[in-house]
This record gives sequence, structure tokens and C-alpha cells, in this order.
Amino acid sequence: MTVMAELEARFDRVCDYMLGQLRGGEAMSVDFAGEASEFMRFNRGRVRQAGQVRQGRVRFRYHRDGRTLDSAFETTGDPGPDRAAAAQALGAARREAALLPPDPYQALPTAQDASRNIFPGQLPDPESLPDLVLGPATVLAGAGADFVGLHAQGPVCRGAANSAGARHWFAAETFVLDYSAWLPGGKAVKSSCAGRAWDPRAYAAGLAAAVPRLEALARPGKTLAPGRYRAFLAPDALNEVMPMFSWNGLGERGLREGESAFLALREGRRALSPRFHLAQDFTLGLEPRFNALGETAPERLPLIQAGALVKTLVSARSARKYGVPSNAAPEGEELRSPVVGAGDLDQEDVLKALGTGLFLANLHYLNWSDRDSGRITGMTRFACFWVEQGELAAPIHDLRFDESLYHLFGDKLAALTRQRSLVPETGTYDRRALGGALLPGLLVEGFTFTL
Amino acid sequence: MAQDLRQLLEAVLPDGTEWGGLRRVRSAGRGYEAKDGAFESAFDYVDEGCMIEVLAYGQFAYAALASLEPGALREAAQRALAWARAAAKRGVFRFGPDVRPATVARFETPRRLDSRFGADLLMGHAIALTRAMAVSTRIVQACAQIHARDVEQEYVSTSGARVEQRLHLVGRGVQAIARDGAVTQLRSANGPLARTHQGGWELLDLEGGEAEARALAEQALELLDAPQCPDLVGDLVLAPDQMMLQIHESVGHPLELDRILGDERNYAGASFVRLEDIGTLRYGSELMNITFDPTLSGEAAAYAADDTGHPAAREHLIRDGILVRALGSLESQRRAGRPGVACQRAQDWFRPPIDRMANLNLEPGRDRLEDMVAAIGRGVYMESNRSWSIDDFRNKFQFGCEYGRLIEDGRLTRTVRNPNYRGISATFWRDLFKVGDPSTFRAFGTPNCGKGEPNQVVTVGHASPVCAFRDVAIFGGEA
Repeated sequence: MTVMAELEARFDRVCDYMLGQLRGGEAMSVDFAGEASEFMRFNRGRVRQAGQVRQGRVRFRYHRDGRTLDSAFETTGDPGPDRAAAAQALGAARREAALLPPDPYQALPTAQDASRNIFPGQLPDPESLPDLVLGPATVLAGAGADFVGLHAQGPVCRGAANSAGARHWFAAETFVLDYSAWLPGGKAVKSSCAGRAWDPRAYAAGLAAAVPRLEALARPGKTLAPGRYRAFLAPDALNEVMPMFSWNGLGERGLREGESAFLALREGRRALSPRFHLAQDFTLGLEPRFNALGETAPERLPLIQAGALVKTLVSARSARKYGVPSNAAPEGEELRSPVVGAGDLDQEDVLKALGTGLFLANLHYLNWSDRDSGRITGMTRFACFWVEQGELAAPIHDLRFDESLYHLFGDKLAALTRQRSLVPETGTYDRRALGGALLPGLLVEGFTFTL
Repeated sequence: MAQDLRQLLEAVLPDGTEWGGLRRVRSAGRGYEAKDGAFESAFDYVDEGCMIEVLAYGQFAYAALASLEPGALREAAQRALAWARAAAKRGVFRFGPDVRPATVARFETPRRLDSRFGADLLMGHAIALTRAMAVSTRIVQACAQIHARDVEQEYVSTSGARVEQRLHLVGRGVQAIARDGAVTQLRSANGPLARTHQGGWELLDLEGGEAEARALAEQALELLDAPQCPDLVGDLVLAPDQMMLQIHESVGHPLELDRILGDERNYAGASFVRLEDIGTLRYGSELMNITFDPTLSGEAAAYAADDTGHPAAREHLIRDGILVRALGSLESQRRAGRPGVACQRAQDWFRPPIDRMANLNLEPGRDRLEDMVAAIGRGVYMESNRSWSIDDFRNKFQFGCEYGRLIEDGRLTRTVRNPNYRGISATFWRDLFKVGDPSTFRAFGTPNCGKGEPNQVVTVGHASPVCAFRDVAIFGGEA
């Protein structure tokens, strides 16, 4: 049995057992996140830390007599101990829930649909990874750079089921290689590659493409005074902004409770550009449509159309609380699989259209600096350049920006590129994340830098 | 612990292993959240697993799994050994077993109240806190959270280490959001989950909590009616609940030796500090004394030994403003040839230990708060972190707070909303001109310090007195 098949069998076994144990008046949803991951961390083109992690975490939401409790336990793949862990967790949940007050907005499971999507891959033997990943990177050493990053690979799975009858399974064998090439002066080119089959030619081509960018970065750096500059945000830079649509973003709960920076948009006090379109779009095929409650989100959910907020992200709990329809958002109402609409600026014309200003390849460590006005702060990072008359003039010394999203995606948005990039999710907090974003580049007037 | 982990480790290690270690972690977590006078959510979980680590060919490699079944562990050890073999010809450094000391230690968080408080009591308390915040129809969210985690760790190695630790953490969060038209303001108990400590239920303050919650809601309303913080270059006085963040971002992270060695450059970033700065760099004014101290029980990151068995000890990192030592584990110390501390920590059983902060504190000085304010002609006093951002070399930062008061001619005057400031770590601390006395000293913590590839979050603690800095760029929100 393959690892993916074992994880699915484990999920089915646990679901069958737990849902089969329910008594009258009880309801439950169960979700599962499993993986068998190989991690190879590297620095200076050499292995820093490597190993394997096998996880299979079951979370469940238990309902009885108007009470709600979330619980979780780890599975081993061994049916006996897993059943014992499930029985123990269910018993503890029954005792704990009985002590809780009623949940006024309890959303009992109702979804009944099912799905099963499996995407096998062709991944290298883990023991070959030091040579496969680090060997070709010697081309970067030739450009005076050293090579830093993480290669992660292996099966990663998600499952969800509930007592109303829903059952979903999503599994994929994938790799993500997230890397950067560093010059001695502290400048770097960042890139990543991801997929289900390792392609040495594509990887070598990606590394080779970094070499001329490193040569450009090796030029003397330019220090810019704080001020407002015309700027182009590459898709990777825009990808750093996308979490702001989740964190105090477009969730219905945050809008109702005063946490969202998009209150002014919702209430018509601020506007975004007619050029700006944002949707949640699972046709990207990078993550499952179902959530932890077993509910299936619409394949495509437009959120902002021509600058107007047309939908928000609504979980089952918010639907109950505020009397609005759910669109199967996760409990935290985060945006999944974001897609920003394309514009009419051709990629090859970006520098010419920018003229004189800043080419921003990446941004770093964004946070809200004034939520009421949608203002965010963050840093430029990696290969960012000063551009003069349509030509790369010099790499910049990194700058801090402080700018409102109502300007960035509103009155200062000059153009979006016709071509878009698929930016893979590379996060590994608690588990390997799934998903990604389809994003254009953005040309912006008067982007505000403060330090 | 029922099972003898040392025997188990010896039984499963394959031939060819120079050294082996086994770390088992069991976490039991509970959490209760109330909102606007009612239940919002509750959780109760148990998580258990282990990481086996081998040293072979000069390389450490790991395998993590949820099972302690000997067959599964044996297979895991073989996978780890295969990784060590594969990495050998391309390893960044050739390590020996000397970076895994044979420490024997036990530690348990001291608790005054160690009985298990029931869900009814804890959720009832959270609900009462939110009801206490319902002081106006302009309060649009009143939220209270109580979290507790009991972590049981056992670490054994073939060189004789045996470290058993039981950590008990309690975290509380209370916040009110007030709204009036286009203005919303948040006020919380010292910032997001800053009240994370090791201890027992005595940390909850069941009697005083409601009065404090009501006061926070009233401050949220006060902020609604307050003017924007003005733009100025002036003196900045930071309360301990903002000093926590200031120390964390602009001292703790830049002093991590693995960042200085470049391991983190692809994710969390590097450091403006260079290896050659250790021992010579004037990091801050002579008033600046930073200590690393996991032996301080009660603060959030107390332990007897780190996750490699390195015994915990209090060390000065910055003494009288001079950088004397970095936050580097034994592995980083060998690579860098510089002194460090016992700081190789992992989030859980499924992540390998790396260089991390633990309890990282600014030592008290001699000034009373009144005297500090009296010494300032024009400035702003700020409390409770609300926004944080810093560059990948940990230099150019911008931080925001929930609550500000103007300082004018030596007196605290008007309340201001959206107080922010920005600066550069390498020079900011040299403008530290007042450090509060022990009466101003308070400890906080956070369970959410993120770093590493693969990513990890760990709990850290920071204690500080009130501090004052000269000539800082201060500003507010959009008018």
C-alpha cells in the first residue's frame, strides 16, 4: 500500500469509527491533515538540516444539546492505537462539552456531498536530493552567489466528513523548492519551483535565469530618500499583500465586529479602482474546495469586481449569526486560492511603462499601520531596482513603505499586467500548506516610502 | 514516564549510528473564548509524538512520527540514518556528539493552583469578562480568551542525557473594539496574548479581571474620541508591554546566531549584526543590559535544558550596551566559533530544534516613571503593541501601539489614538536614555514567535521596565 493510500484508509477508518459511535442528539464533523514529508534545508549550497516528518492529525467538532467543542488527536496508522485515541478523545469531548454553556450560533453539519481527488506524483528518491538540488546550483556559485532555502516533498492529504453524510478526500504528491541566491553584499534573487514531477531541465533553466539578475544586483546600490515613487510590484510582491485580504480582511465576521480594514469599502466611504478584480477561484486546482466542516465552496467566488465589494467570505457560523448565506468559508474566513484579474500591460513593456521609478520583486513582513484607512507598512526585499527611463539603473537599498490599500488598489493603480504568475503556497507552519495564487504585476503611481 | 525511552532508543538505532537521541513530547491544550456575553468557541486536545535524531558521517538527521512502537521507530531511525548518509558529502558543517551534552535534569513549572479548573468555571469567567466590557453601544466587540497548555517532554540520548520537563502555560487575552462612524479602536490587556506565562490558574486573577476588562473597554471609548497621534520627532516612552515587542524584534531576532550564519536568509531573514561584532559592538547606550534567562520560572519560556540537552543558564547578551554574546546553540557556536546560550528549541515533536529566543529580558535601571516623564519636554508615552514590521536584516522597523499619551513639559497630558513610531535597530538603542526601576518592571510572553524552514512557532518570554528613547520619529494614522 502506498503512503497516500494508507493515509486515506486511516482517515476512512477514523471517520467510520467516530461517526459510528455517535448517539442520539449528537452531531460531528471530522477533518484530517496528513503528510509524509521529506525536508532538506540548505545554506551556502550545502545541507544544513534534513529529515522526515510523518503526521496524521484528526480534528473534530462535537455537538450535543446546543453545546459545541473542538478537539484533536494524532494518529499513527496503526488501527488499534488510533481507535483507542479516537475513543479517548470522544469520551473527553462528551465530558467537556457537558460543562459548557450553549453555543448561541451553533451551526450543525448539514453538508452531504462527497468528493475524492487524488494527484499522484513522480518525486525523486529523497537520498538523491542533495545531488539533484544542490548540484546544479553550482551555476550560482559561478556568479558569486551562495544558495539558501528549503526543499520539501512527499504526499500531503486533507479529508473532511460529517454526521450529515459529507465525505471528502484530497491527496497530492508534490514538491516545493523555495530558494534564494545571495551575493556577499546581502543582495539576493528569490525564486521557487513546485509541482508533482521533478523536472531537472526546468529547474536548471530557473537557476540559469537567476544569473543575469545576480549580475544586475551586483552593481553599486542606490540609496533613495523617503518619498513617493512610481512603482511596479511583481506578482511575488503582490503575493505578500494578499494575506491582508484574510487578516482583518474580507471575512463577514471581521466586517461586522469592526476588525476589518475594508469597512470603508463596504460602506461606500472609500473606493477601489475599476481595474481591480479579486476572486476566490478553486479552478487553480491547488487545494480542495471543502472546508473542515465538510462544506464545499463555490468553484469561483467573485469578491471585488471593478473595485466594488460584491461578496464577503461567510462561514457557517457567521451565516447563523448574521442571517446571511454561507459560502463555505473556513471558520477564520480566510481567502483561499486568490486570483487577481489581469490588465492590459504586456510584461515586456513593464519597464517602459514604469519609466522612472522602483521595480519591486518582493515585499516583506507586512502589517496594518492604520486599519481604518486601510494603511499597511512593510519592506522591500530581494531583487528590487531603481529604474530610469525604462532601464534597470541600480539595485536599491531596501526601503520601508507605508501606504493605503485604497491607494494601492484604488486611485494610484495605473495598470495591471496582461500575463499572470501562479505563485505556490510555500508555508509549513504545523503542516505543509496547500494552495497558491494567480497574480498579475501592478503599476502604481506615488507609492509612499517612509524610511 | 511509563516507558523507558533510553532502552527503546538503544533497541531501534541501526548500525552505523555514531550517536542517537529520542525526544518525546505530549501536549494537552484547552481553550475558551467568549464574545459579547456568550460562548464563542472551546477546544480541548491531546497531541503526542516523538523525534528520533541520529548522528552519522558528521551529520545530524531526524525522523518524526506519532508512534512509539518499536518497529515504526526502527524504520524511522533507518530513514534518519539514510538522510545523514545522503547529506554527508554536502553537509554545511561536520558535527560531533559534543553538541548533544549528557545532561540529566528535571523541571516542572511551579504552580500555586495546580488543580484542573473545569470548563464551566473557565468559560464562565471569560463570559463575565466580556459582559464587563459592555459599557456602551459603541463597543462592537468584547472578546475574552483563556488558553492553557501542559507540555510533557522527555529527551534521552545514547551519550546518557535524560531530561524530563513538565511545562504548564496559561495565556489570557481580553480585548474591546469600539466604533463610532469611520473610527474604530481596539484596546486589549497588553496586546495580543501578551499575558502568556508559565504557572497555574493563579494567573487568571478571577477577582480583579472584570474591573480591568471594564477599564479596557472605557479606554477603547476614550481612544474613539481622542485626536490622532501627531507627527513629531520627540522622546518616546514605552511601557513594558511594548518593550516586549521592541526587545523581541530588534534585539532577540538579530542576535540569533543561525541568522548571522545565514541559515534563515531565505525565510525569516538575516541580521545586521556580524560575527565580528560579538564582543565589540556598541548595541545600545550604557543603560542597556539584556539577559537570556530560561531559569526564571514564571516567565513563558522557562526550562532546565534546551531540546538538545544543553543546560539552561542565565547569560548577559548585552552588558552596559556592548554586545557580548549571541543567541546561538551549541551547533551554531561550533560553526561560528563564538559563545552562545542554551537555546536550541523545537516547536513540537514534528520539528527539529533550531536557535530560538527563550526568556529574553531588559534589566531594570534606576528611574521612577514620574521622573522619566518629568525629564521630557515633548514626547509620547505608548502602551500595548498593535502593529509590528521590521526588515529582513532586523534594522528598519515600524511599530504601532494601542494607546498613547502626549508628554508636554514633563507631564502626561492628552490621550492620542493610533500612536506609531519608526527607527533603525542599529542606532535606536543608543538613544535609550532612561530605564525604569524595578517598580516599573513587568514580564510578558507570546506563544507565536515564527521562524525556520520548515516553519515553527515557539513561546518566548520578555520582561522589561518602562524605557525612554531620544529623538524618535513618531506619527499617527490618516487624518
